[in-house]
Amino acid sequence: MKTFIKVTEIWIPDKDRTQLEFGSGLYGGLIDFKEASEQQLFAYNEGLPGKAWAAGHPIVLTKFEHSYFKRTAAAKKAGLTCGIAIPIFSGDFLMAVVVFLCGDDEHHAGAIEVWRTNPALENQLHVMDGYYGTLHRFEAISRNISVPKGQGLPGLAWQTGLPVLIDDISKAETFIRTSDAKQAGISMGIGIPVSDNPGQTYIMTFLSAKATPIAKRIQIWIPDAQGKQLICQQGYSKNSNDLAKMFETITVNKGEGALGRVWLTGVPVITGDHEPDYNPELDSLSSMLAIPVIEQGRLKAIVSFLF
Amino acid sequence: MNRINVLLIEHDISKTLLENSLQASGFELLKTQYSPTFLSLIKEISPDIIIFNLDTPSKKLLADLQTLNIQSPLPVVMFATDGNVDTINQAIKAEVSAFIVDGLEHNRIKSIINVAIARFKHQQCLNNALEEARAKLEGRKQIDRAKAILIKTQNFTEDEAYHTLRKLAMNRNISLGEMAKNVIVMSELFK
Repeated sequence: MKTFIKVTEIWIPDKDRTQLEFGSGLYGGLIDFKEASEQQLFAYNEGLPGKAWAAGHPIVLTKFEHSYFKRTAAAKKAGLTCGIAIPIFSGDFLMAVVVFLCGDDEHHAGAIEVWRTNPALENQLHVMDGYYGTLHRFEAISRNISVPKGQGLPGLAWQTGLPVLIDDISKAETFIRTSDAKQAGISMGIGIPVSDNPGQTYIMTFLSAKATPIAKRIQIWIPDAQGKQLICQQGYSKNSNDLAKMFETITVNKGEGALGRVWLTGVPVITGDHEPDYNPELDSLSSMLAIPVIEQGRLKAIVSFLF
Repeated sequence: MNRINVLLIEHDISKTLLENSLQASGFELLKTQYSPTFLSLIKEISPDIIIFNLDTPSKKLLADLQTLNIQSPLPVVMFATDGNVDTINQAIKAEVSAFIVDGLEHNRIKSIINVAIARFKHQQCLNNALEEARAKLEGRKQIDRAKAILIKTQNFTEDEAYHTLRKLAMNRNISLGEMAKNVIVMSELFK
């Protein structure tokens, strides 16, 4: 199973919190690119992670050449053409920047979008930035619509302040662009609120086709009513995965295990290591990225991408 | 029967007693001196057996033989003049099939080579059996570990854990050992 996302990285503030250093990453077989990345440092407003830090919201960079991207040659060699950087803030303070890098081949069907509130139109979201690969028609449609609060994937994520996963967009009444998405081959989507600055909301949406899902499995974990434990609210993968489902019945205490650490620290984590024998065609899960969704300094949810 | 390909490595580049004996015994022969390209030469010519005729094996040569034994083991016969116990031990550690001190006699060479090849084959059988037993033991350990994970995370009894593991393996059409690995990896992700 080839996934839409080829590389996942976490960049964290260094000891002085003045620049970003490599935290961890998943590179599949892209060993050279991994080596080119591990030694990198990004100052505030430098490179893709630094820009996202300075901007205070997610950034999509659809072309690396002649841009501020710092690893262009290595990325080109690895077949990576597009990057998305998502800063994770708790209030004013940056916890980490998550970077996704994608390849741009013809067999990829999917889109990654950043929606934000439109100052001119109250209670409306519009696409601020997006990567659509070869889905040009879908891009044109998406960039020209506004989504009200509570409607569509981004609107629902905005209203609830929680990640929203729609596993079959073709049947979803809540998804506004259903017929266009179907035409573009898009089958599932997840919307994630990523920063909640006063007066400005940003929602990330990841839309993907069955052939190239965003990840092998996606899970949404939320704290229970008492705020004592995390429970898995939803898990989705293209193929049914009984083993993953079993692990989604467990509850997680704060500070315990990878998800518990994300809850405790507010910092995303990557676990597992599949570099030596990673096979994207297999359904087995060998690594995980867990991202916190933080609102006013409190954890609202954790989204885990399993590869 | 195909002729046995011998790679003869000698310090002396002139025609030697050993070289003559090997040729007279009907072996296919290639003679050279030991050099840093030893391992790539082996890869290139794929001999059936390697025979050394030297005073004493150098550390580099013994290290090369150990690498060879890991990569693509071959029968190795070593004729040497150094009968020091340390040297013999090091040669045996490097998986030399026969180490003969001052025993270069024309009428014995053929039987020495045959015994070395037979001994090498027997050693390979033992190594394979050991490897298989190790893999089985490792597989069993992993199954036990996966069961323990399921017991802990799912509150299963030991029986339930085993049957669940089997069912998961059957659904995926993979072995119990492979499924156990998947369970372990999955639990590591959440650790």
